[in-house]
Amino acid sequence: MIMAEPLSRKASNPIGEPHAEPPPEPIAEAELVKRVRRGDLTAYDDLVRRYQERIYATIYHMTSNHEDANDLAQEAFIKAFHALKSFKGGSSFYTWVYRIAVNKTINFLKQRKNKTQMSLDNLDFQVEHDPAFVALISDKTPRREVNLAELQEKLNTAMQKLSEPHRLVVTLHDVQGLSHEEIAKIMDCNIGTVRSRLFYARQQMQAYLSDYLK
Amino acid sequence: MSMYPDSQDFEQLRRVLALKRHEQPPPGYFHNFSREVIARIRAGDRAESSNVLARLFWDAPWLQRLWAALETKPVIAGAVGVACCAVLLVSIASFDGNADPNTAQSVAPQAMEASLGFTDHSSRGSFFEPAALADFQLTNRFAGASSQGSLFPVQPVNFIRGN
Repeated sequence: MIMAEPLSRKASNPIGEPHAEPPPEPIAEAELVKRVRRGDLTAYDDLVRRYQERIYATIYHMTSNHEDANDLAQEAFIKAFHALKSFKGGSSFYTWVYRIAVNKTINFLKQRKNKTQMSLDNLDFQVEHDPAFVALISDKTPRREVNLAELQEKLNTAMQKLSEPHRLVVTLHDVQGLSHEEIAKIMDCNIGTVRSRLFYARQQMQAYLSDYLK
Repeated sequence: MSMYPDSQDFEQLRRVLALKRHEQPPPGYFHNFSREVIARIRAGDRAESSNVLARLFWDAPWLQRLWAALETKPVIAGAVGVACCAVLLVSIASFDGNADPNTAQSVAPQAMEASLGFTDHSSRGSFFEPAALADFQLTNRFAGASSQGSLFPVQPVNFIRGN
């Protein structure tokens, strides 16, 4: 992705003089964790900001419900804060908080069983320029007049038909782009299990979405 | 070669799944997210600290059992009431028995005045001082008591005029 240059930099450096002060480097995660353990809530605010989008997205794709994702993501961060004293640092905070969020979500989904009510987030305007979407409506696709909202609903319905572990692997790998190794750490299983789950989950998804994938 | 083909057979599916990345929460949602988390953590801490006292006193099992017994059995409630009164009477009686009479004489009027709100002897006359009672005709019904050392430093009052 091409990032736009900050306006302030352009304004303060019109003739190409060396920059007076480089932007402050982000504080290391381990340092923030230390500060939080000492009771610094500002440091925790920083940690939450770093991972909130990824944690929210994972939960959202698992539940297909914005309100549930909001509640669960907040609760995951609150639980992580209170459990931080027991965090041994064997993995990164990122992996650890991910694991908390995933466990919380799976427990929630088990309780909610068969009461799926979707509350989907809106698709952003960039979707129409996404190569994936362009390819989907290309000549090779039989359903040229594919409706975006309908596709979104079909996709989420198909996701909800998967078992929780299969849905999680698809979410983390195919939607969020995590590696097999990262997923294995988060799910606390070996890479072979991740691969096999991913394979079977994709097979099921392909069957559910066969109309769109011919 | 892996037992599970990774991507080639599912390329189209992966493209479709990638569309889910475009599902975004309402604009500005993440601006408030961390603030709400921190607010909930703070609120939880406050609630927890107030719960400590409640747990100490109210959630104590013996207190709950006693309260349940008082609610369900009036006899026990009556017995507890009688016991409380007895303790009160015994403590009053023991206080009277142990008290030094001279101390009692000097303390009692002050205590009574204090309870009536007349504590400042230096700035103004006491309600029990003769100056404050100039309009009343006084009858000394308690003369005997006063000679023996009354509880009050002034003569008692008969508030009926014209006698």
